[in-house]
Amino acid sequence: MKQKIKPKVAFFDFAGCEGDQLQIANLEEKILDLLNLVEVVSFREIMKEHSDDYDIAFIEGSATNAHAEERLKEIRKNADLVVAIGACATIGGINSIRNKQNHDEVGKRVYGDNAELSELYISWEKAKPIDAVIKVDYKIHGCPIDRDEFLHVVESLVVGRVPNIPGYPVCVECKLNENVCAFERDEFCVGPVTRAGCDSCCVNEGTRCWGCRGLIDKPNEEAHMEVLEEYGLTPEDVMKEFDLYFTWQKEARENE
Amino acid sequence: MKIIKKDDLDSFVDELIVNDPREVVGVKERGNKYVFDTLRSSEELRLDYDVTILPPKKYFLPQRETLLKFRSNDKIKAEPENDVIERIILGIHPYDLIAIQQMDRVFSEEPEDPNYLKKQESTVLIGVNMSKASERCFAGSMKTAFTDDGYDLMLTDLGGRYAVEIGTDKGKELLDKSGVTLEDASEDDRKLLEEIKNNLKFETKMNFEPGELPELMKANYGNDKFWEENAENCYSCGTCNLVCPTCYCFDVKDLMEVTLTEGSRIRQWDGCLLEHFAEVAGGENFREERAERYRHRYMRKGLYLHNKFEDIACVGCGRCSSQCVPDIADPAEIFNKLKEGEI
Amino acid sequence: MNESPYLPEDATILKITPMTERETLFEIKLDNYNALGHQPGQFVEVSVPGVGEAPISISSSPTKKGNSFELCVRAVGNVTNVLHGLKEGDKIGIRGPYGTGFPVDELKGKDVLFIAGGLGIAPLRSFINYALDRRDEFADVKILYGCRAPCEILYGDEVGGWKERDDIRYHETVDRCPEGVCWEGNIGVITTLIPGIDIDLENTYAVVCGPPIMYRFVLMELDKKNIPDERIILSLERHMKCGLGKCGHCQINGSKGEYYVCQDGPVFNYADIKGFEEAL
Repeated sequence: MKQKIKPKVAFFDFAGCEGDQLQIANLEEKILDLLNLVEVVSFREIMKEHSDDYDIAFIEGSATNAHAEERLKEIRKNADLVVAIGACATIGGINSIRNKQNHDEVGKRVYGDNAELSELYISWEKAKPIDAVIKVDYKIHGCPIDRDEFLHVVESLVVGRVPNIPGYPVCVECKLNENVCAFERDEFCVGPVTRAGCDSCCVNEGTRCWGCRGLIDKPNEEAHMEVLEEYGLTPEDVMKEFDLYFTWQKEARENE
Repeated sequence: MKIIKKDDLDSFVDELIVNDPREVVGVKERGNKYVFDTLRSSEELRLDYDVTILPPKKYFLPQRETLLKFRSNDKIKAEPENDVIERIILGIHPYDLIAIQQMDRVFSEEPEDPNYLKKQESTVLIGVNMSKASERCFAGSMKTAFTDDGYDLMLTDLGGRYAVEIGTDKGKELLDKSGVTLEDASEDDRKLLEEIKNNLKFETKMNFEPGELPELMKANYGNDKFWEENAENCYSCGTCNLVCPTCYCFDVKDLMEVTLTEGSRIRQWDGCLLEHFAEVAGGENFREERAERYRHRYMRKGLYLHNKFEDIACVGCGRCSSQCVPDIADPAEIFNKLKEGEI
Repeated sequence: MNESPYLPEDATILKITPMTERETLFEIKLDNYNALGHQPGQFVEVSVPGVGEAPISISSSPTKKGNSFELCVRAVGNVTNVLHGLKEGDKIGIRGPYGTGFPVDELKGKDVLFIAGGLGIAPLRSFINYALDRRDEFADVKILYGCRAPCEILYGDEVGGWKERDDIRYHETVDRCPEGVCWEGNIGVITTLIPGIDIDLENTYAVVCGPPIMYRFVLMELDKKNIPDERIILSLERHMKCGLGKCGHCQINGSKGEYYVCQDGPVFNYADIKGFEEAL
């Protein structure tokens, strides 16, 4: 495929650890290939310059206050395409864990007497993924994102096709990699309900899936909760398994 | 039939690893499970394994395989790709050998698929009879516990010694070239082999003849309640497809390097249990319901491939049953239930 | 077995004719100058390197002059979207033709009733134009064509020609007509055209192609007309990923067994797939 234009791209960060942008900054020699495809006009982790003239906005982090909402709306106005990157931006990530806790108590615990910050916090009920605030065109899942998948998405958008983001669960990749199933190692795993695309990297390393890429579109949560209990988890522990990354998605599904 | 001492078999394997230009693959431990993998020494070879995580089909139909390469200077050029690696595979159980024969029929049906066939033809298949069957294996019921063909050589552990049955010239040549010491089998050895085969026990059983499956499946296609009930806990994760030695469905997709000058068209294992398997471009999904996809797999195993190739496409290896996390994928259990419910 | 069946033939886009907002007609020629050698109703896999392949039914008749062929492509997925962005002279890849086409020989001397809904006209056109080019080989020819709205009518100029011909009967309908749009034809779904059609029951074949939902209702109407199942011919849509009967994506099943749409179809006799619950 030939490239028709060299789109301008900008990176933005909201509530999150900026680990996804770090993945991109760490692309090493491939960053040069990337710069042949796109023109980066704003990227706080690697450059000083900033411009509001961009075609594609990559957004990391969750929206956690009214100020974030304003900024996001501004970005949406400027960009042709908005891509959420990383679990905080795509599914609310671990920020959403706080949504299930008492809002005031969390505020006190975090901000203590800092009235100004606390006010910003109090005015905004929940930590939200980006698409709960503005329209998001594509999502690059993961905590952190996978560098190759990021490159695949950029390349796809440049040539004008929809990126290939799996709709199937992590079990598929785990089987292709011929891993010993976590359940066969007396571990627990949420791979059966979690979106693939990570090449089952955590299980490949001998550990388990925590669900950072979020639930698949039609997860069989009931079956998986039943299974987890059969494998010896208490109902509370089962809920915790689902709360780490799935809080926002679960709530959204329940409200459907 | 010939006899080879355990030590001589080990040296034979080590010789192959060192001197044969082909890749030597055998069954090795991975954690508390077994896999087919490249052997570095005969010490790694576990001919007493119960079952491997994936079947050896991965050597002929790899999990991901490049079909075409694209290169572009001013003009894009597509070239066919077939990464054939010559191999000797050691320790294939009879049910997997039978499954390979089924796959051969699929990929040699016109139009032939050279990506599969050339890899298959470049492989020496050395089987081993099961010394113990895995808990969920029901090859005994599927008539796949033993096979008279589909191998180049077949080994059976006689206790410190192995019986060697020669299936093809390719197998004979491998032995001849190696100069390994073989004895002729005595009448007692033959008796012992038969005894060992007769003593092989299966914990899991299908309670009727596999030949009855096509009719049974035909009669139960419309048994919606049965399929819905049994599919209730299905994750649609495709594990049962992916670990199956007779499942061969694949997805085809293109990958492009970020330089946009090189790319490839690959195929990757797919599974009819996965939600989007039967979806068309406009979004219509012809097997949208979990139960429809769940039923489809059993229909494939018991009926559809029988119509096409006269094979019962379940060889009873038990991989799907043992690797399905909610444990709802056991063909023996489902087939037995259908049989019991028969009016 | 040396040549890979997955390797497409190089081909060039000769002409691009935008038809509607979503559909564009591509005239394509193989770079080896050979004719495609297809039967009406067959399909090809269109390849855009780096993007993928998509199965597209061939929209031109093999009787068309010259060695080129035509594909009517709706922009609905990655490959088709990228195709819509290509220019005349651009290169693509073609594999095929694949599948079983319309039983043209069986229908010779018969009355043929073509029923097309929406993009279903694309595969049917290969047969319609075949029948028109060899008009004396077929008896009575009737065409029923329905779209959602007038702006979605495909092959407008050609359809205009069909209206003018006195050796065939052409009827068209739209589900609805927005205010202010000039439309002289029927308004209503395609099934509303069927009751008014005169059919010689002894000699008529119905050849139907359209979206899945249309089949159900059209088949009911044809049943009311007493057309026997074995004289109803359908073309089915599936996502054939390999076109070779291997990848498994286009299988349809029922208690009778299975079909691979890419080899056994896409054209089927209704009597053969009637018991196939997943077919329609």
